[in-house]
Amino acid sequence: MSSEPSIFFSDTNERQGSFLRRTFVIGAITAVGGVALTGRLAQLQVVQAGEYATLATNNQFNFRLVPPPRGRILDRNGVVIAGNRPSFRVLVVRDETKDLDQTLDLLGRLLPDTVDRRRSIIRDVNAAPRFSPVPVKSDLTWEEFARVNLYANELPGVMADMNEARFYPFGGSFAHVIGYVAKPNDRDIKAIEDAGEKVPEILYNPGFRIGRQGVEKAFDRDLRGEAGGNRVEVDARGRVVAEDVGGSKPPVPGKDVVLTLDADVQNRALEVFGEESGGCVVMDVRNGDILCMVSAPSFDPNLFVGGVPSSIYRALADYERLPLLDKAIYGTFPPGSTFKMTTALALLDAGIDPKERVVCTGGYRFGARTFRCWKAGGHGAMDMHSAIKNSCDTYFYHLCNRAGIDRIARVAEDLGFGQAYEIGIAGQSSGTVPSTRWKRAYTEATSWDDDGTWYPGETLSVAIGQGALSVNALQLAVMTSRIAHGRKAVQPRLVKAVGGEARPQAPAFADLPFSDQHLDIVRAGMAAVANDVTGTAYRTSQLGLGDIQMAGKTGTAQSRDYKAGESRGPRNAQWSRRDHALFVAFAPHDAPRYAIALIVQHAPSGGSVDAAPKAREIMKTVLLKDPDMRARIERPLPPEAVAPVGVDEGDAGSGPGGEVVGPAAAAVAPPPPPAPRPAPAATSGPRPYLSEPPR
Amino acid sequence: MTASALTRPGERDRLSTKITELDWRIVGLLCLIAGVGAAMLYSIAGGQWQPWAADHLIRFGVMLVVMLGLAMVHPKWWFRGAYPLYGLLLILVLMIEFTPLGYVAGGARNWLNLGVIRIQPAEFMKLGLVLALARWYHSHSAQEARWSWKLLIPAAMIGLPFLLVAKQPDLGSAMIIGLTGGAIMFLAGLSWRVMAAAAAAAAAAIPPFVMFVMHDYQRNRVLTFLNPEADPSGTGYNIIQSKIALGSGGVLGKGYGLGSQSQLEFLPERHTDFIFSTVAEEFGFVGSFGLLACYVGIILIALRIASLAHSHFGRIAAAGMTAFFALFVLINGAMVMGLAPVVGVPMPLLSYGGSSMMTVMIGFGLVLSTRVHRYAELPKGQGLF
Repeated sequence: MSSEPSIFFSDTNERQGSFLRRTFVIGAITAVGGVALTGRLAQLQVVQAGEYATLATNNQFNFRLVPPPRGRILDRNGVVIAGNRPSFRVLVVRDETKDLDQTLDLLGRLLPDTVDRRRSIIRDVNAAPRFSPVPVKSDLTWEEFARVNLYANELPGVMADMNEARFYPFGGSFAHVIGYVAKPNDRDIKAIEDAGEKVPEILYNPGFRIGRQGVEKAFDRDLRGEAGGNRVEVDARGRVVAEDVGGSKPPVPGKDVVLTLDADVQNRALEVFGEESGGCVVMDVRNGDILCMVSAPSFDPNLFVGGVPSSIYRALADYERLPLLDKAIYGTFPPGSTFKMTTALALLDAGIDPKERVVCTGGYRFGARTFRCWKAGGHGAMDMHSAIKNSCDTYFYHLCNRAGIDRIARVAEDLGFGQAYEIGIAGQSSGTVPSTRWKRAYTEATSWDDDGTWYPGETLSVAIGQGALSVNALQLAVMTSRIAHGRKAVQPRLVKAVGGEARPQAPAFADLPFSDQHLDIVRAGMAAVANDVTGTAYRTSQLGLGDIQMAGKTGTAQSRDYKAGESRGPRNAQWSRRDHALFVAFAPHDAPRYAIALIVQHAPSGGSVDAAPKAREIMKTVLLKDPDMRARIERPLPPEAVAPVGVDEGDAGSGPGGEVVGPAAAAVAPPPPPAPRPAPAATSGPRPYLSEPPR
Repeated sequence: MTASALTRPGERDRLSTKITELDWRIVGLLCLIAGVGAAMLYSIAGGQWQPWAADHLIRFGVMLVVMLGLAMVHPKWWFRGAYPLYGLLLILVLMIEFTPLGYVAGGARNWLNLGVIRIQPAEFMKLGLVLALARWYHSHSAQEARWSWKLLIPAAMIGLPFLLVAKQPDLGSAMIIGLTGGAIMFLAGLSWRVMAAAAAAAAAAIPPFVMFVMHDYQRNRVLTFLNPEADPSGTGYNIIQSKIALGSGGVLGKGYGLGSQSQLEFLPERHTDFIFSTVAEEFGFVGSFGLLACYVGIILIALRIASLAHSHFGRIAAAGMTAFFALFVLINGAMVMGLAPVVGVPMPLLSYGGSSMMTVMIGFGLVLSTRVHRYAELPKGQGLF
């Protein structure tokens, strides 16, 4: 550089000197800038690298929830009564569509029925989070599915996939028991939040359903399972770029719930109701298993899975026979004459001789009022057996105040009325068992214009199952089971197992406080109802299954009060003014296994004509499904081969229910000598109830 | 090449001599940066030459030849062309504003459609401004450059294009024009006191300017810079994602082609303004620091070249070009690191984009020409053309 020419002019020199200093300043500024940027880089890339790495990972990876397959609901024999079926559906992702309106126009050409729902689709799509697919149509036919897939390339943001939808193969048969599933709504989510729990993210998944009624609701947590997740790599637009297999978690399927119900019985029950309205419960006398719990008319729960159209919902809700109401456990009815066993047991408990006779002249004058027997001409002289057999009201009018309302109420409660049972699902009514205490409490609670004292005249109504008394079909079945069992206060059971784990049977049933003699009298009366030619239900309760016969009791209950001067009008003119028909029964009457209670709401006729034949058909189905019963029916009957039922049926060893194994086995050890089978209508002699000899 | 050889008459004007006088360090660093740019463009296209990397390399190759060619051009030609070029570009900028040939792209009316080609005159305006100012200062004394009424002329030369470009509105370019002009006035010897007063006035003018003159989107950018988390999915998105890309790169980076922020398109404008973040993500602190060092190296070498020039025109022109280049680097760097608002200034030679590359390469042609012809003297007060 020494060879470079020097500067000659002072001004030029000054210019150059100033320039060099300033250039140095510019260089220094640049260097400082570089250092500052380097410092910033170090801060971001060295000091805070960890934080930003996390943020980048959050950007890059998404956890896509995989809904778990919902647990199935099975009947006692493993028949699926609520399962899952594949369903093709179309989803729209708003942020992947170029223009939602245009996309829906095109989609409307492929799936014409989306045109009508367009407004609600747009609302759903706009309400959903970005990039989350919103189902716009489920249950596509294969053709529709193929069509959407074919045009998928021209419809960005539209995809068709397959998921699982809830399916109830028996339609309405189980609608009230197992309920249905539906899309979680804001209230469901709020309920979870109010309970202080974290709302599972899967609830927001399109297509996820939660239980809304019955078993689906009560066991929702078990049926739901646990959502799995796929860790996927996404780009900035939320599109899945790759799946990270290592980071995926498979979903845990929901647990299966096994019920004690029998699908065949259930279906048959709904069938025999036809268009009639009512409820029916069948129980296993020995262990309380509910084989049938049906409410008619019913509805198809499959309609509710995808969101029930409001027109259908209105039609169901407005129909006067109330298909949405569960008439087996929620609807309560006056029991009518089916309550007379209870009254009879109360009479016996009060020390009244069952041989005591009351002459029925067609009514009973009590105070200023005549209480009429259903048979206008009167039954003549009645003892307890014939009073039950003929369902004579006068007999019970006459004697009931000697037992007293509180004794009747106590017996009613011992037999299972006035309470709700732990059967695992909600929606039971406990009904009303009137007593003096009840009336006091009721009067106080309602400020009813009455002093709250019980009048003996009210007892008369209750004694024949009217008045304030109200029961549901399940309670009637429990009552019948307990009378049939005789020893234990059988408790109903609906859920057999959850997730392969057997639900424990009700803890050892309590003892019933009734003596065998008293129960025998009542049971004999019931046997006579069904099998004595003069019984109220003789014609309509013959099973035709060999020597297996029912013991039952009919009931016809007034459905409403008639005010003074008001006419009932032409009989059966108006459905809602008709009487209720009831029938309770157990079979076989000589070794009870199954109890049935059936209510026909506002039946055209009465218990013997409308309820008993239905109960008979259902009971037939139950009995024919029981291999022991079949063996008994199909067995040839050489007289000498007839052994006591308890032994030759072979179930004495296993016992009818867990709690009676001990005494039964001990008692059977010396087999009783063969004895001739008692005549069906026989009312005396030891009867091998429940395969057990009398204590 | 010996010193004695250079003293022989005519020796310096030989092409072969000129070529050996080129500063190969600068050429090498420019090639390195452009190569890194092409590699990153290849990476973010998912390992494809299309649509960016191939273009980038071809443009660079062409411009490299142009640059080396311009380096052989004697400064007197640059000197003679300075005012006409400035005038022409000013006319083009005016044409954008006042003729239908200008059209809008990306929110700003900054393109000119000349039928054959479409250009952004604002880019070349920076170049023209450097040359014009250099020529003006060449003809004026130190005293005049420090503080005199004649400074109104260079101030007008800066202010006119600044206002026109700001009106387009292309605030990034306007800012670069203003700052480059300011840097040249400073280099030429503007009084410190005047500078301090001007800086104070500018600082005082910024808040009202931001609040009342700027367009909404520009104001948003500034406000977003001050608090990017206020609207993470909207205007703050770019800065946040860029910082995530940088930070998650760590010390050694995620590896070439493995930057999730860039590859999965979380990083916006990743092939243009935010390409530095991609480098930083895939090569970490080591890579980004190395790249920054290359830029600073080029700037310091270029300033040294400027200081060696015998003509005041050469000094001012080379230093002005360097200041212009340095502004790009520092503003873009600060922007991607979340230290400056998003203003749409690319990283020279790294970002994809033809206008910016052309300007920068022509500018370095001028710098290299200054180096090659560092002994050339230019007469003072030469005629206008």
